[in-house]
Amino acid sequence: MSEFQRFLAKRLAISIVLTLVAVSVIFVVLRLLPGSPFESLVTAGNLSQQQITEIRAMYGLDQPMWRQYLSYLQSILLFQFGYSILRSQPVWGVLAPRLVNTLILLVPALVTTAVLSSLLGMYVGWNRGSKLEKLSIIATTFLRSTPVFITGILFVIIFAYNLELVPAFGMRSISASPEGYVETFASFDFLHHYILPFTVSVLYYSGDFLLLARNGVVEKRGSEFLKLHRAKGLSEMQQLARAGRNSMLPILTYFALRLGMIFQGLILLEVVFGWPGIGRELVLAIQQQDYPLVQAAVFIMALAVIVANLVADVLYAYFDPTVSTSGGGAA
Amino acid sequence: MSTETKPEAELKKRVEGVAETLRDQFTFLRRDRLAFAGVLIVAAFVFLGLLGPALAPHDPIEHTVRDDAGSMLRLSEPTGAAPFGTTAYGKDVLSQFLAGAQPTFIVGLFGGIGTGALGFLVGLVSGYYGGWVDEVLMRLTDLTFSLPFTPMALLLLTFVTPSVWLMTGIIVAFLWKMPARVVRSEVLSVRERTFVKSARASGASDLRTMLYHVAPNVLPIGFLYTAYGIAWAIAAQASLAFLGFGDPTVTSWGRMLRQVFESGNMRVAWWWVLPPALGIAAITTSVFLIGRAYEEVINPEIQTEQ
Repeated sequence: MSEFQRFLAKRLAISIVLTLVAVSVIFVVLRLLPGSPFESLVTAGNLSQQQITEIRAMYGLDQPMWRQYLSYLQSILLFQFGYSILRSQPVWGVLAPRLVNTLILLVPALVTTAVLSSLLGMYVGWNRGSKLEKLSIIATTFLRSTPVFITGILFVIIFAYNLELVPAFGMRSISASPEGYVETFASFDFLHHYILPFTVSVLYYSGDFLLLARNGVVEKRGSEFLKLHRAKGLSEMQQLARAGRNSMLPILTYFALRLGMIFQGLILLEVVFGWPGIGRELVLAIQQQDYPLVQAAVFIMALAVIVANLVADVLYAYFDPTVSTSGGGAA
Repeated sequence: MSTETKPEAELKKRVEGVAETLRDQFTFLRRDRLAFAGVLIVAAFVFLGLLGPALAPHDPIEHTVRDDAGSMLRLSEPTGAAPFGTTAYGKDVLSQFLAGAQPTFIVGLFGGIGTGALGFLVGLVSGYYGGWVDEVLMRLTDLTFSLPFTPMALLLLTFVTPSVWLMTGIIVAFLWKMPARVVRSEVLSVRERTFVKSARASGASDLRTMLYHVAPNVLPIGFLYTAYGIAWAIAAQASLAFLGFGDPTVTSWGRMLRQVFESGNMRVAWWWVLPPALGIAAITTSVFLIGRAYEEVINPEIQTEQ
């Protein structure tokens, strides 16, 4: 096995163990803390003893704990999430459309912000000390340090309430009842609802990419290989392109990390904008103590982070052989 | 050599040293206008955090603002009676804003210090000892990286009654990973420097080398991440409170925003939204601006030309 293959195997094994641990932590948190959601289900409903026994058997609660754990592990790792307690339909049936709604918001937003703010970052990094540099640093510092729901609220107040340009809430008009994904997403009504949450997420995530790109270019600017390029008579733009290409790696790995973490950041955004995504569903499920739904949603979010971390580390090790393959890549 | 005057002189020298460091820091921050503005805002925030509840003209929850006829003033715009207006429940927004600074301050301060200290310690030990210690600690940070913060915090907070201190604990438990990784990578480079090697060669113990020779050299980055930790903790606390998972007995800025959002009065009651929203935004941004100024000192390559 080559060095890289060994690294890959080790990193994969770590990810699998982390997944198991994360899943176990969810299990423990949900079952061992006082006030299990099932108790409220049993005490709240006017159920006969027989019905209680049936429900307990259905969710496997009459089994010993280790058996519950094993069957839980088996089912959750196979994406068998069971039935939602309150919605009486399969959890996956509830979550899948929500997941699509979230992805349709976050993936385009993240790609847009990664491309635009990296380019802007490289540009201001090349033109050190310009007004634009100062301004972009202040603006992005504000946007990335302020919690996303506050930026969201401020934008809603300005653009939805005062200027009345866009709707403040939801993904479609209340009267709209589209069938299927194409009808849902390919419409002006959807686009109209999309603009505001999209813009806010683009702005929120722009800061990190901008600073990464700027710092990368600034560090490269004084380096030897650029002096060589300058001596060869490359134009400013060509030099910047070279410096930029060399700052791509941190941006790329950061993009992978962000992609994994975005579900969490979007919880707040989805709540503010009433976006029917997985994050908002999780908050609702927790409030209603819909326990199978909660564990499925948290599992999906944890899995996204683990996979993204794996991808980021592997990208880093693959593209930058100077990085020791034994260390954790992206900090 | 008299043994009695020496400790005193030593003490005096130390105090002067500290005073000088503080003066230097102040001059340094003075020069960076943005960072200096940040310092002023942080100072105002500390003042509010300590004295806010005492300054509040009314009890934030108990007191109800009434007009001359004695009827409750709901959703009143800013007036003489309530300079920041009133909430939908007839409460004084100014009093809530002043009182709400305290929990934000407590979680920010202790969450930030806890995050910085724990992360610093883990990064230091992990980087210094290497080997299996490093392996175990770094896998542990991987684990906290892979447990998504917001969902896990929400889960924990549903089962136990949230309190300000519990939230501080949860925040520290999840955020120490950031400084830990950065400090570790710094320690790895410091460890290889000559003075550390010679300290060890001359017989200094591991603990001594680590604390006296390695730690001071990574302290700046530890402080920087403590500062960032404060901003993260404030943002996390506000976010959780906004989602309805905050301490239900305490008025905080995040909780104020939740109430205006939940009550559906965001459209009209701008005076109820802006104080807590701008309060949180101002303090987190200020901390980051100060942090940036220091980051440029630690890593001069990325300096902004003034």
